[in-house]
Amino acid sequence: MRNDRGGVLGGSLREFPSPAGTPKEDHIMAKAKERPKPILLPQLCKGCGRCIEACPRGCIQMGTEIDQESGLVPVVVDRETCNACGLCITACPEPYGLNTIEYELEDPKHLFGEGVAKPVTPDQPSERIPLPKVQPMVLKGNYAAAIGAILAGCRHVFGYPITPSTEGAELMAKVLPQLDGVFLQAVSEVATVNHLYGCAGAGLPCMTFTSSPGFSLMLEGISYMIGAEVPAVFVNVMRGGPGLGNIGPEQADIKLGCRGLGHGNTHAIILAPTNPQEMLDLSMEAFRLAFEYRNPVFIFGDGYLGQMTGRVQLPETMIRPGIPGWAVYGDEAHRHNLINSIDLIEVDLEKRNEALNEKYARMQANEQRSSSFRADDAELLVIACNTPARMAKGAVERLRREGMPVGLFTPLTLWPFPIDALKPLLGHAKKVLVVEASAGQLEDELRLALSHADITGIEISHLRHMGGVLPQEGEIVDKVHEVLEVTA
Amino acid sequence: MSTETKGTAFFQHFDRHAHGKGLKGASTHYCPGCGHGLIHKYLADAITELGIQDRTIAISPVGCSVFLYYYFDVGNTQAAHGRAPAVGLGHKLANPESIVVSYQGDGDLASIGMAEIMHAAQLGIPISVIFVNNAIYGMTGGQMAPTTLPGMKSTTSPFGRGAMEGPPTKMAELIAQLEAPVYVERTALFDQRTRKATQKAIKKILQLQMEGRGFGFVEVLSECPTHLKMTPTDAEEWVKNEMTKYFPIGKLKDETRDPWFHLEKPTFDPERITKVLEASAEAPPRHCKTFPGHLDEVDVALKLAGAGGDGAQTAALLLAKSAIHEGFDATHIPSYGPESRGGTSYADVHIAKEEVLSPASPRPHVLIAFNAPSLAKFGPTVRENGIIVYDSSVVSDVPKELPKGVKVFGVPCAEIAISLGRPVVKNVVALGALQEATAILSEETLLHSIREALAGKCAMIPVNEEAFQWGVRSVREGFTHLPEAEVGK
Repeated sequence: MRNDRGGVLGGSLREFPSPAGTPKEDHIMAKAKERPKPILLPQLCKGCGRCIEACPRGCIQMGTEIDQESGLVPVVVDRETCNACGLCITACPEPYGLNTIEYELEDPKHLFGEGVAKPVTPDQPSERIPLPKVQPMVLKGNYAAAIGAILAGCRHVFGYPITPSTEGAELMAKVLPQLDGVFLQAVSEVATVNHLYGCAGAGLPCMTFTSSPGFSLMLEGISYMIGAEVPAVFVNVMRGGPGLGNIGPEQADIKLGCRGLGHGNTHAIILAPTNPQEMLDLSMEAFRLAFEYRNPVFIFGDGYLGQMTGRVQLPETMIRPGIPGWAVYGDEAHRHNLINSIDLIEVDLEKRNEALNEKYARMQANEQRSSSFRADDAELLVIACNTPARMAKGAVERLRREGMPVGLFTPLTLWPFPIDALKPLLGHAKKVLVVEASAGQLEDELRLALSHADITGIEISHLRHMGGVLPQEGEIVDKVHEVLEVTA
Repeated sequence: MSTETKGTAFFQHFDRHAHGKGLKGASTHYCPGCGHGLIHKYLADAITELGIQDRTIAISPVGCSVFLYYYFDVGNTQAAHGRAPAVGLGHKLANPESIVVSYQGDGDLASIGMAEIMHAAQLGIPISVIFVNNAIYGMTGGQMAPTTLPGMKSTTSPFGRGAMEGPPTKMAELIAQLEAPVYVERTALFDQRTRKATQKAIKKILQLQMEGRGFGFVEVLSECPTHLKMTPTDAEEWVKNEMTKYFPIGKLKDETRDPWFHLEKPTFDPERITKVLEASAEAPPRHCKTFPGHLDEVDVALKLAGAGGDGAQTAALLLAKSAIHEGFDATHIPSYGPESRGGTSYADVHIAKEEVLSPASPRPHVLIAFNAPSLAKFGPTVRENGIIVYDSSVVSDVPKELPKGVKVFGVPCAEIAISLGRPVVKNVVALGALQEATAILSEETLLHSIREALAGKCAMIPVNEEAFQWGVRSVREGFTHLPEAEVGK
């Protein structure tokens, strides 16, 4: 018997086979009694028999007939002997097993129909409001990122102390209670990312500060956040590794950010500021991007950038956040929502992956960011991000004074790599010098981007440091001389 | 908006079930006789009776109850293995009005999620945790759980849980001995009495959460007939006779506590934000007429070096702030970390006319050295015709090999500071000396930044001003030790 909705159950309850020995009129009669006797739809009974033990009058027995719908043997209730004590209902593990709910008798659609269409809750939009004009502030990079987050409407920060990122958490611990926000020191980075998952799942802007070893610990949760499409902002102030390493500045998490955000097909925008001002600006921008794409966004700085103090101008406007329609906020409007990343049906999970990858493609098309310095006529481009980009800027300025045709290209997004802006520069700059504080992780991103863009014939050399050492202006100058002189 | 529920917090139709048509649309995915279904029912009843369906957020764990969200018509979030309490706290803090239920099995809560549950319980923020203990891993197929009984066989303890596996973990007892939880009970499902107790306990912890009284924890001893390889009835008997020996049922904690949990709604008032951030609308006074081009045309590099506690970082920050007040660009990079507890401490400062390009100072124009090793290490890195200020109270030997034209000023920073009764102001002495030796900014600019930094400790301003002037005088008059007549004045 198949119903017209493709279900395996009967089209109407009155056609259901009655339990053996029980007249089906009995179901109907239950309505008339004051203390209703239990009703059991046999196809919803798994025959576990817990009700048999529970019944003090022995009204329930294990059945003998296999139910045609469930393939199980349901119990049989003798409603004549039943005095409606209800103990069997308390002992039945099935939500719609033994019970006294009567509506399904009136309208089988409640149980076996298509269900109620999922309501769509509109977004409560964010608002941009004016900020009073203030003098430039003198801020450490970590503080600047924290203030950027506050101005982006973030009032929930979770974190675990780790040098050299801790000032971000410290500022939040001091400031947020004064803005009726919350800073919670988590028990670990593993817990941190899951606090974020919950808070962001409720639709609120939230963030954390961490550094490389802590970031490694967060990767599990990051994969879940990307899978469940939950936004949040992570500031990763990279330090020397591998392992415990040291607290000096390094850029050796680029690989994790661009290629290793936990298990599965994951990607996220990785922003790479070069000074305290950009720490603030990109922190604000990160929240906008996180909510626009429903995806975590990462700000990668090196240790110096977190610790460096500089001039920071606050913006003219700030954000009062709303609540997105998809949030699990814990109120009536959002009750029907679900935040999850599990999907047992392979083809469905493939579709979900395809949708995520379309989203990544949109990010790649629209969110590449970079800056350049004296690059328009350069024959050699220095490519560097974070603090090394500043060292390189100093070097380029010096080299230009010497008359060398050198420019600087600074990716402000490491993923997506800003290949669109780089490509025209490579028309005249056939030589590239990648300056970085890692064993070639930025260079790998460059090489991959060149390969995807079918750009060939570029001579790539590099200047690298590791272990907490940053490339310095002087050695960049020397390296450029070496490259240009050797090949000249 | 809300769908009609007719007295149940369950969905009327389990559409989220991948096969949620027909039979699966109304029955659970659990095996016959599984305790989860009962606990689900009691939770659903409690939610309905307390009228909190709209506010409830159920956190689905990893384990057999991963599909909690198939059934509960409430806000649902599915968490990573063991992390449900951490996710729940995120929800609770986002919306304090929400009622958060963390529903977890024994592998989830007592093994992989041990840190998260202990922390949530230690915090005591009102959330409700339902811990389903059936002594076995169900979802992955019958492996040993933290709560598997001694001698009990599982697929990963095929010869029975032995000495090497340790005894079972008693979560309710662990949680109850923490100070913060307000209610902890262990219940079961094997007879009418224990089922009633479970119903009551679940309702109780939800109510305590609604009233903002604290963290509630109910451990339910539950049956897994499939992996116990028993009939549901035998499984009930086994829980009753074997599990309760190890896990005695009963209340472990039931405190009377006043409602305490309350959070205001976050503020987004721009005026309040700029005030809290200590951002000022008032422009600081400017005293410098020009950029100190006599030191470098566009960008002056400084290094301040000493031991932790010498105040090199504070002095560096004051310099950078002063320069920015004057409209220049400036940066400060500290050597950071363990130095604050007494190691070496170096600061790189740049002051630029337009923009600091490279913020490190491997070859500074100006060096302030607070001790001999710093002077020995960085003295030779100073540029030709550069300037060195060092603390002559602790440094007796100036390196002979210094770059051409470097001017060296010995200033008794520590001596002066001690004589002023405030050893910590030796960095301010150094700043005064620096200003006099280099004319880098102006005395007034630096003094303004010093006063600004001491706004919360006004009583300290005079001694700092005095220290600064002593530094100026030391360079001007050229004394490297405090003149005897001045000591102690």
